Amino acid sequence: MAVVDPPIATHAASAGRHARFETALPWLVLAAAGAGLPLLDDSYVGVIAQRACIYWILVAGLNLVVGFAGQIAIGWVALLTVGAYTTAVLTAGTVTSAWDPYLALAASGLGGAVFGVIVGLPALRLRNFYFAITTLGFATIVTQVALAWKSVTGGGVGTPGPVFPWPFDPGWGFYYFCFGLAALATWMTANIAASRFGRALIAIRDAEVAAEASGIARPRLLMTVFLFSGALAGIAGGLFSSLQSYITPDAFTFDLSILFFIAILIGGRGSILGPLLGTAILTVLPELAAPLVAWSTFLYAALLLVIVLAVPGGIADLLDYKNRRPMKQHREIVPRPELVLQLLGEHRERAAIALSDIRLNFGGVRAIDGLSLEIRSGEVHGLIGPNGSGKTTALNVISGYYSPSSGQAALNGIDLPFKAPHKRAGYGIARTFQTPRLIGGASVIENVMIGGTYNGESSFFESLMGLPRHRRDEARTKAVAIRALETVGLGQLAAVRADRLQHSELRFMEIARALMLRPTFLLLDEPAAGLSAEEIRGLGALIKAISLAGTGVLLVEHHADLVFDICDRVTVLNLGKVLAAGTPSEIRAHRDVVIAYLGS
Amino acid sequence: MSTKLQAVTRRQVLAGSAVGATALVSGFPAPVVASSDPIKIGYLPALTGPSSSTGVGINRGTELAVEEINAAGGIDGRKIELIVRDTQSDPTKAVNAVAELTQRQKVAVIFGPLNSGEALAATPLIARDKVPMLHPCWVDQLIDVKKYPMAFRNAPTNQQIGAAANQYVIDVLKLKKVAVVSDTTGYGTASVDAYVPMLTAKGAEVVFSGHIDAANPDLKPDMLRMRSAGADVIMPWSVNAGFLARILNTRGAMGWDVPVVGQTTLGSGQTRALLEKPDYWNKVYSNNFRNVCFSKDGKLPERAQEFVGRLRKAKLDMGDTLLWWIALGYDAPRLMAETIKAAGSSPEQITGYWNKLKAWPGVYGDITFTPELHNGFQDDQVIMCEVNSLRDGAFNLAPGYGA
Amino acid sequence: MIESIVSYGLAVGAVYALIGITYNVMFSASRVFSFTAGMLGMLGGVLGALFITKFGLPVVVGLGLVLACGVPIGIITEIVTVRPVLKSLEQHLYVLSTLAFALMVQQLVAIEWGTDAQPFPRLIPIGPGWLDQQFWLPMLACAATILGLEFLYRRTLIGRAFVAISEDSYAARALGLPEQGLRMASFALAGIIGMLAGFTGAEMLLAFFGNQSILNFYGFVPVALGGMGSNRGAVIGGLALGLFQQAANFLLGGIFAAVAVFVVFIAILLVRPEGLAGGATTRRV
Repeated sequence: MAVVDPPIATHAASAGRHARFETALPWLVLAAAGAGLPLLDDSYVGVIAQRACIYWILVAGLNLVVGFAGQIAIGWVALLTVGAYTTAVLTAGTVTSAWDPYLALAASGLGGAVFGVIVGLPALRLRNFYFAITTLGFATIVTQVALAWKSVTGGGVGTPGPVFPWPFDPGWGFYYFCFGLAALATWMTANIAASRFGRALIAIRDAEVAAEASGIARPRLLMTVFLFSGALAGIAGGLFSSLQSYITPDAFTFDLSILFFIAILIGGRGSILGPLLGTAILTVLPELAAPLVAWSTFLYAALLLVIVLAVPGGIADLLDYKNRRPMKQHREIVPRPELVLQLLGEHRERAAIALSDIRLNFGGVRAIDGLSLEIRSGEVHGLIGPNGSGKTTALNVISGYYSPSSGQAALNGIDLPFKAPHKRAGYGIARTFQTPRLIGGASVIENVMIGGTYNGESSFFESLMGLPRHRRDEARTKAVAIRALETVGLGQLAAVRADRLQHSELRFMEIARALMLRPTFLLLDEPAAGLSAEEIRGLGALIKAISLAGTGVLLVEHHADLVFDICDRVTVLNLGKVLAAGTPSEIRAHRDVVIAYLGS
Repeated sequence: MSTKLQAVTRRQVLAGSAVGATALVSGFPAPVVASSDPIKIGYLPALTGPSSSTGVGINRGTELAVEEINAAGGIDGRKIELIVRDTQSDPTKAVNAVAELTQRQKVAVIFGPLNSGEALAATPLIARDKVPMLHPCWVDQLIDVKKYPMAFRNAPTNQQIGAAANQYVIDVLKLKKVAVVSDTTGYGTASVDAYVPMLTAKGAEVVFSGHIDAANPDLKPDMLRMRSAGADVIMPWSVNAGFLARILNTRGAMGWDVPVVGQTTLGSGQTRALLEKPDYWNKVYSNNFRNVCFSKDGKLPERAQEFVGRLRKAKLDMGDTLLWWIALGYDAPRLMAETIKAAGSSPEQITGYWNKLKAWPGVYGDITFTPELHNGFQDDQVIMCEVNSLRDGAFNLAPGYGA
Repeated sequence: MIESIVSYGLAVGAVYALIGITYNVMFSASRVFSFTAGMLGMLGGVLGALFITKFGLPVVVGLGLVLACGVPIGIITEIVTVRPVLKSLEQHLYVLSTLAFALMVQQLVAIEWGTDAQPFPRLIPIGPGWLDQQFWLPMLACAATILGLEFLYRRTLIGRAFVAISEDSYAARALGLPEQGLRMASFALAGIIGMLAGFTGAEMLLAFFGNQSILNFYGFVPVALGGMGSNRGAVIGGLALGLFQQAANFLLGGIFAAVAVFVVFIAILLVRPEGLAGGATTRRV
């Protein structure tokens, strides 16, 4: 029997303090370097630094869209254009009376937010390459409109940019303005990254199906992020028009879009520090040697190719020393069923999910042909049958991924909506998957905390500003996640990157994630596949404890022993039809089942 | 043809850049300017990127001038150091380069940018840094003695260019119905916007005006519309050789015998190369400049003749570019050298000298400035030429011009 | 007026259709949309001008050489940008690797060849007329490609192997088909088609580095609208797009025509993301 390691809490505390300084160090260095830049007394460096800060404000927002949400937005210069022209036109006084530059900047943020939503809308329906092409389309449209709308934008001749008054007048004053806003953007996006929204974004990117099962509504989250990103880009545009002192449509090139996008990829997705360094590098690179200027886009592209092929994780990956330390080879998973009650909480409603006469066709194939079953609180209901009998399909119907051709599924009499898997969390239904869905690049505990997204209370704005409710949320979610990991026996692996785990550990991680929802119903899709005999025993004890705490469990499984061991009721499927249903002993003796499935 | 052009200038650029790079690396400027220190002239051409053909042509003249001046001992023994920063036809790079030239290199004067888009962004910044600047861009808004007291232009304005073309159409060709078109760039759209009211004010009837996407391979529908609107002359404004060539090709294919009067690039070697038939280049008249055109007797003005001789000796290619670009580039460093020699190299000395400049004899143009007028090119020096008379980068005056 | 819109619209539409087919051929073999389709089209024009005008080779030799260049470029694309990415879990990376590669090639052309559009030689030495070779060359190339592909897919063994890989790569592999070799061959084939598109279209579009972005977008629209992998849809979509674009140019003028095309495209995609012809959906759970 494995030695039970000391509680994770004290471990985490000291590791946490050290980790916090480790993670704070690069920021302190950057802050000091940025604040102390004027000491160099070189205004040229100041101009380049202003440009880097302005680009970073935009990239910080775009990072959430590209690096976190995984949307391939390669036409983002459109928002820079919108922001730049908004500020410039409002302060120039050609259309309205001249605005105060700060108000104009705020208007740019607003305009950017609105346009960000417009550019982002296709992302709700289109994927990858398709979405990328639409963003390119928007970039062209905006530039063409800027060219054509002469009365407002000045057309080809352009319009002068704003000059901010003292203390942010051109020179070091303006530099501090840009630097301050860049620091603010960094802080806000870092807050989001370390919040349930940041984790949810990464979940949408890498494990969309699991994100839905955890109650994450993709459309709303994406639109929020596009709105915020657009606002940052708009403000960056306003500052850009001041830096340039005069803007014309030809300043907003495709090359800029590429620079922004590549900075994030070079920095590494899911990181804040990485893209920041990436932006700084790409802004400074062409200045280092004059011949480089003509080749700068070529070099950016070459760098991107190298990163994609060699280090897809970017700079962030290179800096990730923690996850290069070797791991213990023979690890055992020792679940602790005694912790389940504390994790799930005492109060459990009595409830039941009832499927009535579900039928489902895939093209010409009848996958489910008249399935009725009931999952009750406090019971483990096993669903077994040969391959292709429709077990997983049935589970997918219950969890909302498939819509049946006929039949109902109801919870305590209320119909469950189909084709809306992200709503299941609201009904207290959680599930695991036949193939574990994980975010490889995130740590195990971050993966598990995805399950806590639904129950989080802080709003996007509160997380953005790091308000107390956000901090409380984070602390609470983390504590619950640690407890969930200890319950399933993975407490020692909390900080490890998920893609370093063994297959069996991933299965238990999924269960921990599902338990975060404190589900009324837990649907398990072949959780024992690939587990050793010892691990299956541990799994069985865990599931039993979960059901004893009041949760209703649906166990889709192949391992007959496990099913008969822990299930209160068993349903046998064959070719989409119910072959038999009853208690394990009834099933074991059932003639048809014995012939068709268990062998005589 | 063009690759050779690139090869020549890239070598020059790399050489100039090597000088610039060492200057960049050496970073912090020396506190005291010794009497034998070089005089730094900042230079912001667009040598690469979409709008680089002008810059490449001008650059040949500029480098030749600097070479000659330094070979003759420089300015009172001080050599000229030309600090080149390729703006890549990109205003953002131009802004970065301005900061480097004025703040770190501490140049005495700046020549360029050579494209309007970059000049629009660079001029306010150079003015803020109080460095004198001389540039050849045409957009009217670039010169403003109140806002930019140290900015001077040694080339015509868009107004002058348009006025010359309009005058040729209305007063010399005596045509009334005009079709004015441009591509969809900043320069093109700004030109059409400026010229249409100028034409109407002179009594012409603008029967067609519009902007056409330069990448559109088919201009027939637009040209047919011009014809059915009754246009007697087409006036295109674009620096895109492909676009201009398409207009000429379509006119020829339609068999529509109207003159084409417009932008200088109509006469460039690049436009000619894209024509489907050589005689599509007939009856095409473009802006050009008196000093670099063949007069009635078939000879270039003396200064230009001598200049062409020098170009031939230096083995500089003229066939694939325009003589006036090279001449313009040649004049600028010479004007700056003469100014610094006569008046000194501080900003006040340079601008003071320029504000009193009268008829400075350039190869490209005779430049006159006053404290109220920083556009140095004279109206009567902008003329129209006949493009199919191209010879060694220069043209004949268009028919109907007085001597 | 109308004849001009129709003839140019169909001609340029045929070029777009061919680029769309290039996208499709690469997609069928690898489930990857590669940004190199537009790049191939651009290179077809540039290399054609290089071989025929600068090097003085005869037209037929030039054409053959250009098409031959498509093979190694296609294969390099597969080896460098597609194969390594397919192996990793993060499949979407192909968008970035192909984008990076295409950008590198485009910048090389911009720096070495120049950023101005260069003339493309007259391929057949007969003068311009209303049935000009500018028009029927691309359409001929498009028809030849479609017929050639039909023959390939239906009558030849390797063609049927292509179809097998694109329909169900697992089953095909289980049958022993060399998936990797077939994928390389597909990309080589796409290279040839892309070069052909650029070569036949270059009398209209000229030898210009900027054609890459134009062809990337306008070549993708037929694919998106016609359904991914459907060559028939690509041809119909391409011709329709060409006609629409020329009509918009005429009615709205240069600036707004581009805007009109983008807006209509995005609108159609939002309403029917799988394209007007419909496409396959993959199982997610």
